[in-house]
Amino acid sequence: MKKLQLLLMAMVLPAALAVAQDDPAPEPYKPSKTQFMIRGYGHAGLEFIKNEDGTESTFVGSTFAPIFLFKHNDRLIFEAELEFSFEENQLQVGFEYANLSYILNDYMTLRMGKFLLPFGTFGERLHPSWINKFSNMPLGFGHDGIAPSSGTGVELRGAIPVGNAKLLYYAYATNGPRLNTGVDAPDEAGQIHYDNFFDNNNNKALGGRLALLPFANSSLELGASAYGGKVGDRGDSLYADVGAFLYAFDLSYVRQVGFLGGTVDIKAQYNNTSVDKATYFEPETDTTFTPYSFDNQSYSYFAQVAYRPTKAGSNALKNFELVGRYSFLQTPEGAEWETKASQWAVGINYWLSWRVVFKLNYQRTIAEGGHDVPAGVTTTTDGVFIHWAIGF
Amino acid sequence: MKRIKTILIFVLPLAVGLFLAGSCASARVSMKTGAQLWGENCMRCHNTPSPAAYNNVDWATIGLHMRVRANLTAEETRKVVEFLQSAN
Ligand code: HEC
Repeated sequence: MKKLQLLLMAMVLPAALAVAQDDPAPEPYKPSKTQFMIRGYGHAGLEFIKNEDGTESTFVGSTFAPIFLFKHNDRLIFEAELEFSFEENQLQVGFEYANLSYILNDYMTLRMGKFLLPFGTFGERLHPSWINKFSNMPLGFGHDGIAPSSGTGVELRGAIPVGNAKLLYYAYATNGPRLNTGVDAPDEAGQIHYDNFFDNNNNKALGGRLALLPFANSSLELGASAYGGKVGDRGDSLYADVGAFLYAFDLSYVRQVGFLGGTVDIKAQYNNTSVDKATYFEPETDTTFTPYSFDNQSYSYFAQVAYRPTKAGSNALKNFELVGRYSFLQTPEGAEWETKASQWAVGINYWLSWRVVFKLNYQRTIAEGGHDVPAGVTTTTDGVFIHWAIGF
Repeated sequence: MKRIKTILIFVLPLAVGLFLAGSCASARVSMKTGAQLWGENCMRCHNTPSPAAYNNVDWATIGLHMRVRANLTAEETRKVVEFLQSAN
């Protein structure tokens, strides 16, 4: 009997205790102020390219670009992006940006670190593959491009409402571009490179952008940018004083247009790069060089239009987008990298969601000169690109 | 140079014309709702994300990220984030 009593007590007691404790209601979930997110994008595709040498087809890509966002509090955010890709059978890791932004007040944000430069809008806003409406960049950007994409330094930026309009400003100081004197790569003599993690001279490059959104609905944005500084190495007797000045104009117009039953998106940018005249040396043999010089001016531009029938009755139709783009690049006459190229691209995109897209592009590039092509020889290259891109 | 001119001549009137054609009954930002600002601003660079794409905490982080990256005004950001969070 006693045993039974004990057993009963052993069974009932914990339950009784549990009731007596009467747990307080669980606290509602309170997110911490500090937040960490991994975002980013990836893309891959199949490309067919036809030129004078014949036809090539290849699967390309799998670029994977993770973005790390760390919000320390409502004023302080850190962002960083790495870009993994496979080129020439080797893994390439690009360090795209890593910077801290601090909101000083309603009209001023301070940024420090490596950031995408607000030089025009393509580099800072349009290059991610889930945003870019084409499978590649317009002429003048990316490899062999003349426009800068990122810089290491500090920046002040902000937006000021002016009546119905809005004014955006950006002002920055960076290590600036670096001149390729051609000592290591003679066929790139006179080009400037933008990946300057440690300054090659004590001169900081200064740059900025001013943009006006004249209409109250923010549909139109017109911007002008400039960026300049010394590009030669410190102490280099030949090139230390060589400077560069870059400028750009950009336009963006995005609006749902009632009578067209959809959204029209127009983007355009013009870039101009001029580098002070300098003398470079063309190697003839291992020990003999021929000096030469040229007017070191390059420019490029693109204009693109996209139309998506966002007002269409059918859901499938709504997801299609028609796109067209023209771009042009002219590099200096007399340089080893002299080229004059123009390109038309047209395409149809299918958006599975706001950040997942299938792109089908056709593109024709007509180029004079360029890498491995003697000046004066014109080549025509046709390409068909089938790409997908996802932002996550 | 000629080609730039051709393109400008083509693009500018198109932009202005389309703007005039679309009825532009727009008020100052201070009079606009978060939903309206979201509709006008969040499609300028990429497609407009729907409120359901992220939870409220994530929207606060993205709001700050976009405020800096897209150079949105303080008021625009606050209204859009509040709208995205309330519509969630
Ligand atoms: C001026 C251009 C621009 C505008 C306007 C803009 N965005 Fe973005 N947005 C970007 C860019 C560029 C990225 C990609 C960032 C990257 O890959 O480095 C992005 C990324 C995002 C992402 C992905 C997550 C992240 O933070 O990277 C979300 C969500 C987003 N934007 C939401 C919005 C919302 C909501 C608005 C409206 C308030 C908006 N965007 C307006 C340019 C813009």
